[in-house]
Amino acid sequence: MNRNSIFTWIAMILSSLVLLFILAPLAGMFLHTGGTQFLETVKDKEVHQSVWLTLWVSFISTLVFSIAAVPFAWLLARKKFPIKNFVQGIIDLPIVLPHTAAGIALLGFISRDGFLGKTASLFGLNLVNHPSGIALAMAFVSLPFLINAARDGFAAVPERLEKAALNLGASHTKVFFTISLPLAWRSITTGFVMMFARGMSEFGAVVIIAYHPMIAPVLIYERFSSFGLNYARPASVFFILVALFFLIALRLLSLKRREKYVNTDAQTD
Amino acid sequence: MLKLTNIYRRLGDFALTDINLEVSDGQYYVLLGRSGSGKTQLLELIAGLEHPDSGKIMMDEIDITRHRIQDRKVGIVFQDYAVFPHMTVFGNIAYPLKARKEDRKSIAEKVEKAATEMNIKHILGRNTQKLSGGELQRVALARTLITSPRLLLLDEPLSSLDASLKDDLKRLLRKLNREGQTIIHVTHDYSDAISLAKKVGVIHNGKIIQEGSVDEVFKNPSNRFVARYAGIRNFFRVDISRENGSLIGVTERNIRFKLNGVAPGRDNLLLIKNDSIVLSNELPSNKELNIFKGKITEIIPSEFGKEVIIDAGELFYANTLASEMEKLRLREGNEVWMSFSCKDIVVINGN
Repeated sequence: MNRNSIFTWIAMILSSLVLLFILAPLAGMFLHTGGTQFLETVKDKEVHQSVWLTLWVSFISTLVFSIAAVPFAWLLARKKFPIKNFVQGIIDLPIVLPHTAAGIALLGFISRDGFLGKTASLFGLNLVNHPSGIALAMAFVSLPFLINAARDGFAAVPERLEKAALNLGASHTKVFFTISLPLAWRSITTGFVMMFARGMSEFGAVVIIAYHPMIAPVLIYERFSSFGLNYARPASVFFILVALFFLIALRLLSLKRREKYVNTDAQTD
Repeated sequence: MLKLTNIYRRLGDFALTDINLEVSDGQYYVLLGRSGSGKTQLLELIAGLEHPDSGKIMMDEIDITRHRIQDRKVGIVFQDYAVFPHMTVFGNIAYPLKARKEDRKSIAEKVEKAATEMNIKHILGRNTQKLSGGELQRVALARTLITSPRLLLLDEPLSSLDASLKDDLKRLLRKLNREGQTIIHVTHDYSDAISLAKKVGVIHNGKIIQEGSVDEVFKNPSNRFVARYAGIRNFFRVDISRENGSLIGVTERNIRFKLNGVAPGRDNLLLIKNDSIVLSNELPSNKELNIFKGKITEIIPSEFGKEVIIDAGELFYANTLASEMEKLRLREGNEVWMSFSCKDIVVINGN
């Protein structure tokens, strides 16, 4: 067995400290949550509703925005255009903005005086304090994760494969759906899961757009500020467990789907 | 059938310049060039994957310069095969038929036929990531040939195959060509050109510098670059003058060559094929020949025997069979006579 150098030992100790920093508060929270308290929270209808709302709104938001974000990522990976770096900067902007500031900016856009708000109100829809507004706030702060991951995925697909497919008579659309998309699938899925997860955990932007209906992070905050740490803890633990379950399930599902594609494309059209 | 006229295409610092090329029906055209010479870019222009900045590409008398890739009836097999890694062999070969929306039954029949011809029927269900280079090559060929291209473009198809697979593929390519398939094949290896081509073009720095039959190009190379491709390693820069009625070429190191049928002038290049130099232990009696005595500095095993490097004031490279080597008892450090006729010397402009 190779002997580790002093540097490796130092790196390992530092890594352990970082891991501990992440895990210790979470472990503390789990350990401080009593079984009875937790069961009560699990049965709490308000908690149920808010966790469910968080999950489905984030999922729908990710799904809807991916329809535009994935082709956008392909464009960034494949095409050269004059203001490409500028466009790339715009995509990363939500990552560096304070999320409450992002919420304020978005509120101006989707309130009844804003462009989107006005348009929505023509159809009788008020985006503020509505799940659709929450979805927009979640998407605003989490879109960069999907676009960047998908862009890297498309960039890693050898252009030669796309050229070969074109040469074999496929249209550009067919090449996108049969070559580029399946080969970038793993990165796109990763981006999808990251966007979903980031959207789900968003608090700052959402709380400006919609205090009610309450998504889980807002509910946890509300319980903490109204009743204190002991009341906020079980809701946090429950939300983390549910979110983890869905994240893992989504990840496994997407990997399985990819395997299926690889193995059976010859027989299915 | 295919005619390229004055093609120009700039790609960064590099440019394909003044490309004129004509390939007739049933032709096997080998485009010979080093890496970076522009041969792959030229294939991509013909296939329509790139477009020329100026010039015209005609196919069967129709201007296809701006035609869509899909409408050109030109099939290309890339050097790295570009076999789709997320599909099986069947999926790859069926891909162009699915793109044309053919029905399932017809696809299955055609794929099976193509796979049988390429001898890959037994791997139809396999994932392409587990295939060998030779198998991938055949999958890529089958996938392209199933589209019945008017013109087949091959980018270095033999470069990453081992010797026995190379022979198999050469046989297959010859067969395809015999059956009427027009082929343009780009390679850096002149032995591919010799064994396959009906016509050869040599491309260098984005320009086609010589074109003709294999014999024309390799027996009369138009410059040093083409000569190197023909396996010629004896190059001598000489000034040619007339001395006592005879033409003599003199190198900087004062090595004197008897020449025939050339005009006097400065800075010419003499080429002598390695095979033209005859080695002997005795002084040759024919005084019309160019005769030099030199010391063997190195003996290197080569494809057909040995390459002998002789220092006679200038370095000469001669090819000899192993049996001849033994007969003459050639060893490094020995002295040896070299002779060759004036007719074996090609004189070209050094530039």
